[in-house]
Amino acid sequence: MARFDYVRAHSIAEALQLLGEAGLISRPLAGGTDVMVFVRNEKPPFDRLVDISRVPEMKIIERRGDEVFIGAAVTFTEAEQNALLREVAGCLAEACRSVGGPAVRNAGTLGGNVANAAACADSLPALACLDAVAHVRSLTGERSFLLNELIQGANRTAIRPGELLTHFTFPVPPAGVRSAFLKLGRRNAQAISRLSMAAAGRLDAAGRVDYARLAPGAAMPRPQRFTEVEALLLGQAPTDELLAAAGAKTAEVMIGVTGRRWSTEYKEIAIQAMAEQTLRRVLCQ
Amino acid sequence: MLIEFTLNYQPIAIEAPPDVTLLHLLRDHLNLTGAKEGCSVGECGACSVIMDGRLVNSCLVLAPQAHGSEIITIEGIHAPDGGPNDLQENFITYGAVQCGICIPGMVVAGEALLMRTLTPTRTEIRTALAGNLCRCTGYQQIVDAIEATAVQRRQAS
Amino acid sequence: MTELQYIGKPARRVDALEKVMGKAKYIADRKLPGMLHARCLRSEAPHALIKKLDVTPALAVPGVRAVITSEDFFEHSLFGFPVKDEYVLAYRKVRYVGEAIAAVAADTPEAALAGVQAIVCELEPLPGVFDMEHALDPDAAQVGPDRPDDQHPNFLDLLIVRQADPLAEIEQCAVKLDERYSVGPQEHAYIEPEGALAVPTREGGVLVYAPNQSPFVNYGVLAMVLDLPHNLVRVIQPPVGGSFGGKDDQIYQMSAQVAKLALLTGKPVRLVYSREESLISSYKRDPMHIRIRLGADSDGTLRAVKFEGLMDSGAYASESTFTAWRGSIHAMGAYRYNACAVDIKCVYTNNGYYGAFRGFGNTEVCAGIEQAIDELACAVGMDPLDFRLKNCLHVGDRTAHGQILTESVGLPDCIKTVRRLSDWDRKRAAYANQTGNIRRGIGVAALYHGTSLGAEGADYAGSTIAVEQNYSIDLTSGLTDYGTGSRTVFTLIAAEELGVSPDRIHMQRPDTDTAIESGPTVASRSTMLGGNAARVAADNLRQTLDYAAADLLGCELHQLVRSGEAYVGPDEEPVAWERVVDHAREMGLALSAHGKWTAPRIEWDHHHGTGTPYMAYHFASQVAEVEVDMRTGVVQVVNFWAVHDPGKVIFPQGAYGQVYGGVAQGLGYALMEQITYTNGYLQETNFESYLIPTSVDVPEITAQFVEAPFSKGPYGAKNIAEPSMVPAAPAILNAIYHATGKRVRDLPANLERVLLGHDLAKGGSAKACKLGLKT
Ligand code: FES
Ligand code: FES
Repeated sequence: MARFDYVRAHSIAEALQLLGEAGLISRPLAGGTDVMVFVRNEKPPFDRLVDISRVPEMKIIERRGDEVFIGAAVTFTEAEQNALLREVAGCLAEACRSVGGPAVRNAGTLGGNVANAAACADSLPALACLDAVAHVRSLTGERSFLLNELIQGANRTAIRPGELLTHFTFPVPPAGVRSAFLKLGRRNAQAISRLSMAAAGRLDAAGRVDYARLAPGAAMPRPQRFTEVEALLLGQAPTDELLAAAGAKTAEVMIGVTGRRWSTEYKEIAIQAMAEQTLRRVLCQ
Repeated sequence: MLIEFTLNYQPIAIEAPPDVTLLHLLRDHLNLTGAKEGCSVGECGACSVIMDGRLVNSCLVLAPQAHGSEIITIEGIHAPDGGPNDLQENFITYGAVQCGICIPGMVVAGEALLMRTLTPTRTEIRTALAGNLCRCTGYQQIVDAIEATAVQRRQAS
Repeated sequence: MTELQYIGKPARRVDALEKVMGKAKYIADRKLPGMLHARCLRSEAPHALIKKLDVTPALAVPGVRAVITSEDFFEHSLFGFPVKDEYVLAYRKVRYVGEAIAAVAADTPEAALAGVQAIVCELEPLPGVFDMEHALDPDAAQVGPDRPDDQHPNFLDLLIVRQADPLAEIEQCAVKLDERYSVGPQEHAYIEPEGALAVPTREGGVLVYAPNQSPFVNYGVLAMVLDLPHNLVRVIQPPVGGSFGGKDDQIYQMSAQVAKLALLTGKPVRLVYSREESLISSYKRDPMHIRIRLGADSDGTLRAVKFEGLMDSGAYASESTFTAWRGSIHAMGAYRYNACAVDIKCVYTNNGYYGAFRGFGNTEVCAGIEQAIDELACAVGMDPLDFRLKNCLHVGDRTAHGQILTESVGLPDCIKTVRRLSDWDRKRAAYANQTGNIRRGIGVAALYHGTSLGAEGADYAGSTIAVEQNYSIDLTSGLTDYGTGSRTVFTLIAAEELGVSPDRIHMQRPDTDTAIESGPTVASRSTMLGGNAARVAADNLRQTLDYAAADLLGCELHQLVRSGEAYVGPDEEPVAWERVVDHAREMGLALSAHGKWTAPRIEWDHHHGTGTPYMAYHFASQVAEVEVDMRTGVVQVVNFWAVHDPGKVIFPQGAYGQVYGGVAQGLGYALMEQITYTNGYLQETNFESYLIPTSVDVPEITAQFVEAPFSKGPYGAKNIAEPSMVPAAPAILNAIYHATGKRVRDLPANLERVLLGHDLAKGGSAKACKLGLKT
């Protein structure tokens, strides 16, 4: 006897109907990279998987006014190869390129990456850096969250049963802003991030930082921008000293949140280098 | 449930439970054992197939997700006479095969790459294989074989 | 010597076609009608007494056909060589997490799992031994078997090499070194998990398909534990999806489990591991703690070495005593010394268990000694490559064991060649004084590696050859090709001897009913032993055909010449090889032959640590170039050169493939492959946590061969499979030092060790293991 059922949704409305059906524990299935691990367990924590990977509205990437709209079922490959994202959200395109290997990127989706809420998920710092908003719908309405509200801790989100993460939006960054993403893993592909870093920035005509965003990954229980570091950068020329100070501040903020743990001795040093290197790429090249 | 899809260019309909992976559907229900199970969690690429033109790990695809898709497995990759195609021939010529357990996945990954480009650099070839683990070859002769095939196909087209 | 037709020329691997087409049938691809699925109940405790084991509830589970325990075997399924301390299914005690306790056969995998879960098994935990440094403490829990002598039961073996008094010699040296190194365990990580399929035979015996390294060893174990006469046991080897030393005892256990279940149920039974089951229950490369003391004169003349190693054997001996022996023989490296002492001690613990893995002790010791040599060179103030060149073994030298090397020593040439290929001198100078965050470094390691078993045991192999009705040729060997290409090597050798195209030859996979027992397929011994056996068999067959040809052509044997396959006599009229075969048949000659080759007898005195350990050695030198991020500890191997002396290259693509693959495994060993036992529980239970190099971690490798033929090898060939991996790790470690100025003496050189100089303890739990045993 099958341990769970499968049903395919063709629209968001249909998906919500299916997910909201009483008496059944339904979970959305997109790329399968995270959910499928449960398929091997004898007792999966759901009765039915609702396949949303082909819902057309959830596959869209487009500019809507001042915002960029990304469907939650967009795969890493689709995001990475998307011309709009490459132009305005380099950090997100690069983050998607750094996920797993080609096959995982072809299947895995941004929505799944966020909803699974692993602290080391590569899209999280990029989305946080872009101030992305996650939109969650159910039969009763829509709720939207900044990423650090949506994600409440390792593998925990504010998404309730019956709800579906449908898309993300983020404001198109001001003209001239560049963003980048860096990943540190134990090998060059198919690696879980030991640390990652997304940054965005711009210099004004006088060569001073007039836009700065920094969001580390795999460093915090929930993704967030390091506004203290951003504040330190604004109005300053991106000298080696400034970038070093920004790196030091990044480490300080991280430890302020997480406290000292087994990995801190390493991460304290490495995160400084990551912050400096990523900022250098967006501010100095 | 009834799963209908195109398998190696032929339409197919098969009754299967909803909770098996595409890999098990292929191996246990369709007797196509070319795709191998090396890890079952999307880490090794031994189960690689091409789904709607893209390389995927069939251990991470639920069988009913294949419904309506076009799937190409290693069994669908060969010359018109059923023998090895140029890529497979180059795997042999360049000594790319050792124990062979990763090789169906490598051939599939190579074809998936060559469907998109016939001008890959060696670095691009390596990137395209980055989800396919091989413990025997150190990858070098596999890269050689794919590179040579790209050159030959470019010249032929 | 006439020009070689096939040896050393590009060739097609004999089994490549079926593999590229996806048609090769590995063990998991083989199924039979009515076949049952087996699954094992495994220990969740690292060390415990089996207080209660009741399988009857499992028999009540729908679909379950049979359940077995150690009671179902002869002598409770005790087996193991050379130390008989292991069971097919645990008897009275479990000694590691993942140890099989009972096995169930059922109609479906799901029913088998349900059966396993229904077994009542009560384990009474015992204190464990998790730190090999404390395994021999007087109050350490007993893991090993009772001993007849007064040694601690956790003591397994001590292997020594002795020449003069190294400590006294080092005292007199101007430059001294005393350092400690360590290597961690390594998982084979073959992409094909283990499996076995047993089919009961009509006469009450059993046929087992098993991707094992040594079918004849399996056959012997099966007959013993099943208490069956040998003629009722048959082992056939399907294609093996990688082994590297790993498909030895574990597969014999599995084979015995499915064989017993097949005999009980009268049905075929198959057992195939999941990756988790494979990682948790299979043996790994042993970890070793090493202390090395060296002394040299101020001019760089190496004088003495003292090497002390402590090796963890885990819960069972497996091959550890052999591994430690090979380790001891190679522990001083390929150098001349006035004095040498090696002591490698192996002990039992409850950290899984450790056994054979490519390099077999040499990989472990080489990581230590080749770093120490580098450090000593540095202390002397010499270029490490010059230092090696000055002190390395040449023809005519005496090894630390007292063996005079009379031939086939390509080491100086290997070192010189790798120096040139890698542009060593320029890079060494260019990278000397870097200050940036990203720094390059280049490092070297040298190697010698004894061929075949050496003084480990009787060293022989056999082959059969026969001409079939359709003029094809059937060739067998008792040795296994688990991906290395040995079947192709044997084919080429037989083709060369016979003067026929390799396409004619069908090289069979081993089947204990038709092949000749040839000892184990280990120690990179196939080319020399199996190759010589194939050569002798082919030579015997050729002699028959030569008689037929001479008879047909009406000439003397010495007048025969060959033109392609054809025979030509004095009249210069070629006759096709097929005609010669027909004529031989008409003459009533047998067109089949056997060949057996036994290695020359060599002696090793275990008590005095001297003798002739191996008949010949493979030599090599490898250079790695790395780029290190000084602030994250990330190491990229950007270039790699490997120059090897395998005596003679028989199958070039195969030989290059061995080198590339060996270097990749060495790279993983050096940088990322980490196995952690926390209180006996493995933390890395699948490929997301046990990381092996991907295609973007391995650089383009430049391989070259220096051929210093060995007179007793087939066409001069020695070996290649293991040695290709051995020096890679120390070459990389030495390159990291060159880049950073900081020595990482513990392997793997992970991010933390490179950045901080020490590893960080994450702490672990039993969770992954317990979950893994259920998937
Ligand atoms: S079996 Fe699918 S990726 Fe390993
Ligand atoms: S050829 Fe053995 S794993 Fe690739």
